Amino acid sequence: MLQIKADIIGKEEVMPGVFNLILVSPEISRNARPGQFVHVLCPTDDGFMLRRPFSIHRVVPGRAFEILFQVMGKGTEALSRVKIHDTLDIIGPLGTGFKYSEDIRSALLIAGGLGTAPLLFLAEELVERQVLFYPMLGYKTKTQMLRYIDFKRLGKKTYAATEDGSFGHEGTVVDLLNRTVHNIRPEIIYACGPVGMLKKISETADEFGIECQVSLETKMACGIGVCLGCACVTKQGYKMACKDGPVFNTRDILWGAEDYEKGLANGCGCDNQALSDTDSAG
Amino acid sequence: MSVNLSVNLSGIKMKNPVMPASGTFGAGREYSELMDINRLGALVAKTVTLKPRDGNIPPRLCEVSSGMLNSIGLQNEGIDHFFKHDLPFMKEFDVPIIINIAGNSLEEYAQLCREIDRVEGVSGIELNISCPNIKAGGIAFGASSKLAEQVTAAARYNTQLPLIVKLTPNVYNISKIARAVTSAGADAISLINTMVGMSIDTNTFKPNLGNITGGLSGPAIKPIAVRMVWEVAQSVKIPIIGIGGISNALDAVEFFLAGATAVAVGTANFINPQTMTDIISGLEAYLVEKGFTDISQIIGKVKT
Repeated sequence: MLQIKADIIGKEEVMPGVFNLILVSPEISRNARPGQFVHVLCPTDDGFMLRRPFSIHRVVPGRAFEILFQVMGKGTEALSRVKIHDTLDIIGPLGTGFKYSEDIRSALLIAGGLGTAPLLFLAEELVERQVLFYPMLGYKTKTQMLRYIDFKRLGKKTYAATEDGSFGHEGTVVDLLNRTVHNIRPEIIYACGPVGMLKKISETADEFGIECQVSLETKMACGIGVCLGCACVTKQGYKMACKDGPVFNTRDILWGAEDYEKGLANGCGCDNQALSDTDSAG
Repeated sequence: MSVNLSVNLSGIKMKNPVMPASGTFGAGREYSELMDINRLGALVAKTVTLKPRDGNIPPRLCEVSSGMLNSIGLQNEGIDHFFKHDLPFMKEFDVPIIINIAGNSLEEYAQLCREIDRVEGVSGIELNISCPNIKAGGIAFGASSKLAEQVTAAARYNTQLPLIVKLTPNVYNISKIARAVTSAGADAISLINTMVGMSIDTNTFKPNLGNITGGLSGPAIKPIAVRMVWEVAQSVKIPIIGIGGISNALDAVEFFLAGATAVAVGTANFINPQTMTDIISGLEAYLVEKGFTDISQIIGKVKT
């Protein structure tokens, strides 16, 4: 874990309201694991704003890393206005990422919308390790297919669903999973997206006896395990998303309490950032 | 030109008057990777209770205008775990250690004090009688001058260490509470803890905190804190630790002018882990710029 001032060397609005930033940090790019996040001080004039957590989207080995975010509130709005060669105050890499055993042979990567953010880094890692994997991506519509091309290039076979049926399967990624899981038979499922989607994916994984890891989204303050604000309810008691997570094995998660789900996500389908941005709406 | 920032807080000798506010710094373990703890005036641990506490149901955090609401609920592993795992780590630094405690009853505060008195290397005890997020104890003790006096007396009877009592701002007459704990034997007073607040989601109509209400911290409460430090400084002679929304050196200076002998930094640590060390450097620069040689020259010097 380091606190650095990172130069911005790339900025792209990948679709309206969704931005990708490339930030220089040899240390973070070397040490980061898929599923980990960085805690970003958003450049605002407001005087007071907590840092915002963003999953590490991708690394340029030994040099830089990327974050992908949607403008959801004041923090991400400020972040969307940065310019190339500005610097950002960043703490990272943080948290516990996705876990995989050495002998894993096939994986299914399921993303809903901005849930693609942590999974692209994982996909690149799996390619490196020569693990066969199947991306399964859910979008609202054809024009919002974030990172579809990238996953298609990396994965064995890529599945896509759009809610309006404009591309691939018509419906949700959960429907698509339930129709195809018995054919794919992955050893492990990795998923990120809205909490309702993650809960349903974990039910399917349970039914088929497949291990399932998900990246959860919570509000955070310190981001490093001090304030105990980002508690998630697990069978082992409260765990902190910033340190024990944000990636959890679904066999440990207690999805039950309604209040708890509210604490996790508001259904926007994001990496780790949306709810942390206070003026974000559901 | 060098300036003297050292202060003596009722026997706790601090090389400078800046410390973390309890609960915003853990035992320092995580932040030690990001900043130099040895530069601090004191190290104040997160509230510890006799038995482990799970804390409150999430969501526990909500950012609001110029501040933050929290309802953590004193999650901690209990005093035995603290002695075994956290205190040894804190002792690695050359900084006075202050242990913050909370209990459900007078007897629990007393027992915690007895146990802390038995261990080596602790410089002071801070009584948390002001947590707004727990059902029993906490703020219930701090909101009544009679109970505040009783709990302070119970602690005083059971420890030889300098005793700091942390007050809640959720009272009508803070000076009355300050006088009560002073007469019961407090060596210093820290204020303020968080203000009780609430935030509601306008889409779901539900509170933004699982605990419904929580404690407001950050710049939003700073003027309230400065006012209360100033009022208490008029009513008692014991030193005051000023707390509430301090983010930079000039914020800290306001508290010294109002009458604080030391300051504690809370929520600002989350935003920038360098806040406290920046404040220490900034205080030096401020005193030099204003032609002072010692921090004591500005304490209580507000011109009213």
